[in-house]
Amino acid sequence: MRGLQRIKFALLGLLAIGLVACDAGVPQPNLAPAKAKAAQCVEPTADIRKNHMAYLNVHRDKTVIEGIRSTKHSLNECINCHVAPTREDGSAVHYTDEKKDHFCASCHTYVGVKMDCFQCHADRPEVTKQVNYQHKLSSNTYHLSAQTGQPSAQDWLLLSTPQGARQ
Amino acid sequence: MSQINAYRRKFLAALGGVAAAGLASGVIVREVKAASPDVPTRPEDQPVSNKVRWGMLIDINRLTDGGASMVEACKREHGWGNDPKASPEQQAQWMRTVKVTDKLTKHSFTLPVMCQHCEEPPCVDVCPTGASMKRADGIVQVNKHICIGCRYCMMACPYKARSFVHENLTDQRVHSPRGIGTVESCNLCVHRVDKGQLPACVEAAPQAVIFGDLNDPTSRISQAMKALGGSQIRADLSLNTGVRYLGL
Repeated sequence: MRGLQRIKFALLGLLAIGLVACDAGVPQPNLAPAKAKAAQCVEPTADIRKNHMAYLNVHRDKTVIEGIRSTKHSLNECINCHVAPTREDGSAVHYTDEKKDHFCASCHTYVGVKMDCFQCHADRPEVTKQVNYQHKLSSNTYHLSAQTGQPSAQDWLLLSTPQGARQ
Repeated sequence: MSQINAYRRKFLAALGGVAAAGLASGVIVREVKAASPDVPTRPEDQPVSNKVRWGMLIDINRLTDGGASMVEACKREHGWGNDPKASPEQQAQWMRTVKVTDKLTKHSFTLPVMCQHCEEPPCVDVCPTGASMKRADGIVQVNKHICIGCRYCMMACPYKARSFVHENLTDQRVHSPRGIGTVESCNLCVHRVDKGQLPACVEAAPQAVIFGDLNDPTSRISQAMKALGGSQIRADLSLNTGVRYLGL
């Protein structure tokens, strides 16, 4: 009886070690570019992790068919916030890169999801035309997809900071 | 003759407004584009309505380059025409210039041709998935999310306005997604119109093109068409196109 229990414990121990090892292998998406712009995503984190594709699907039909171009659930705004257009070394970040360091790819690769958003949609913010793509999530006037109207004072301040000027 | 001059004056007066708007937008620093008086802004969370029907009136006599600058502006705006693997015949072509010559008199003129945004679009009739669609405000476009790339619409279009993307693309324009296996065409710069701006080609040729709401009798385009007319290409097909021409 004692022996059996010992074996059980040993097995449990091995399982625990195995689980820890697995856990270390889970890739963490790079949240740094988004954290630099906003403290919180457009929806609560748990919700957006689980349901982002549902939000995107609803919004895409609203946009294409009804012409509603609000920024809250727009794929463009996900990309603007979460993907830095280039790496530290200046190379372009693409969804299909082998390194899998694109924000979307880092998770999708791990969970084995295949989606084709980026066959058509740009997978990084446009830097050639929008030099000052960095923006705060709350500043609506200087959002990439809301270019009409004068920029707010807050945006002017953002532009004068090194963060706004950096590319 | 004096009547024609009166017409010209009206057309010029109408165009003056566009030019003024262009100048005003130049004053504002950075890339904040001014909204056009021809395109009333709609609240961002409101769907498009069928009370509006967008249209374009192109005076080809005032297009000094036959529309080449409009085509270039379209290429820049949507990023087509330079797909790396496509042969010249395969390149996407949202808009092109067509030279027409009268066999007898040898008189020739050039006009830009793109999607004519028909009221009764044949491309929408033939689409098996509903991807080829007409928006409530009259803009005909491809919903690429449900396009299967069958290219029936390319066959059906009498204006040869649609193209097919044959290859994988990267770094598309943020506001104009294009990708392998889907059909595409002029969408009247729907992303700009939704923000109250003019289409890119209209901005490129403000001296010759008026854009606006065909359903609103007080709009500049309706006034100009009432005074000057505006002929359709292949009017015999009774498609009631949204793109109209002067000087054909």
